[in-house]
Amino acid sequence: MMFDINTAVGHWPFRRIPNQTPAELRALLEGAGIDGAAVANTNGLFYKNCHDANLELAEWLAPHADFFVGVATLNPLYAAWERDLRTCSEELGFRALRLVPQYHDYALGCGESIAIARLAAQVDLPLLIPHRVVDVRQHHWLDTERVIGVDEIGALCRAVPEARVIACEGGFSAGALLDRDGSPRYPGLYLESSRVAIDAFPEEFAAERIAFGTGAPFKQIRPAQLKVEVADLGAESRERICGKNGRELLGLA
Amino acid sequence: MEREAAWREAKRIDVHNHVRRARGGQTAGSGEALDVDHAERLLAKGEKLGIDCFCVSVPLTGDAPTPDQVRAANDAVLEAMRMSDRFLGFCFVNPGDAAAALEEMERCIVEGGMAGVKLYHQYVVCDPAQRPVMERAAELGVPVLMHAGKVTDTESQRRQPRLSHAGHFLKAAEMFPETPLIQGHIGGGGDWEWNLRVLEEAPANVYIDTSGSVIDTGIVDRTVATLGVDRVLFATDGILEEGVGKLLEANLDEADRARVFGGNVREIFARRRG
Repeated sequence: MMFDINTAVGHWPFRRIPNQTPAELRALLEGAGIDGAAVANTNGLFYKNCHDANLELAEWLAPHADFFVGVATLNPLYAAWERDLRTCSEELGFRALRLVPQYHDYALGCGESIAIARLAAQVDLPLLIPHRVVDVRQHHWLDTERVIGVDEIGALCRAVPEARVIACEGGFSAGALLDRDGSPRYPGLYLESSRVAIDAFPEEFAAERIAFGTGAPFKQIRPAQLKVEVADLGAESRERICGKNGRELLGLA
Repeated sequence: MEREAAWREAKRIDVHNHVRRARGGQTAGSGEALDVDHAERLLAKGEKLGIDCFCVSVPLTGDAPTPDQVRAANDAVLEAMRMSDRFLGFCFVNPGDAAAALEEMERCIVEGGMAGVKLYHQYVVCDPAQRPVMERAAELGVPVLMHAGKVTDTESQRRQPRLSHAGHFLKAAEMFPETPLIQGHIGGGGDWEWNLRVLEEAPANVYIDTSGSVIDTGIVDRTVATLGVDRVLFATDGILEEGVGKLLEANLDEADRARVFGGNVREIFARRRG
């Protein structure tokens, strides 16, 4: 059972990308053998009042509640984020919160970031934090060059140890995430798999801390699947990465 | 001496990959230049992914690598070729020292059996300094693979001011019409759409390899649509799952997929003269 923890719908203005509607994306993922997915609204990167993107997403996902779970996108420097977060959790049924400081222009270590991470933990929503949305070496002139490093994400994990934080779209190294004794350096930090060299991590870490994701429809799906297929893992570890970890993080298991 | 080797039967040939130098393997002729563990891991991972052969090089990224540094780098490649016939060497040269570059091509390609030339960003591909290397490659009938990209971010532009993009390749293709030119890693992180729009006018001696970490939806499909399936070459640049996966997912029929995976580069290698 494959569960994809990193997908998106909505309009990306800088490149023509197919399969941006829920129906199209669902067909794409199901065609690749994926049974369910967490999905965020790309419009939430660009709307000033990004909660409108959450309301929009909830409408779009209504016919696909058996496949998709919603991921909220909020800006902790914008008005009413606390009320919006509760709405996303309690009324819209969203299962995670995405923070995109590189698009909303704030520091991940600021007081507002810590406050929203604390509230997310209270309402039992994991955080999804993309290292980037697209490779900045090809970024559009109106797009951001900023990426969010693992040290910034890790600092938030240390500041809010009760939070569960999923770092997405990062090719993070084992050296950046493990202490010398092999234990995880940051509390509550998980990795989305699409850009991770799974074999670079001890199997125990991979089985506990890596959750399958593709980055569809921005990115192709098959490479992410191959990464899990050819990694030196036991069957149980592979199963955890492919679906269990993601579902557990989102409270679906 | 050309190696009558695995590539003739290989279905998947990674045209852009690298081996590494062993620690301390900086001196030419030391006999212990290759990081053997890394090479073994590469072969093992390739076996899982069905990659039969790897074209490997050790490019040096400094502004002006010396002849001794270049020889030491290529020694690692020659050792990899002795280790396994699944490794096909590409000879790195610094075109800024033409005499040394030609001598190294003689040592590595003519005598050592390497399959092509590897260039990095010491000069853009259409710089007149490239002429001796390009013309010798044409005489030998071997391809020239070059690090390339159209980076749009400030940091990459600062670090690689002489990075060749598709516009440079168009010009080089006119300057060196007999040399098979492989523009490296369409997925190497730059604006691949820009590169492909430029290559819509590319002459027949320009090829492109599919490697790089970028696996944007449609990247391979658009590359094939732009250049034609005969001029697109499978490669990973060390990022194996992405490299294989992006080609497996591409919207190609199986005959075309097989061409990209290996058929096209086998045809290039078969045209070797020296």
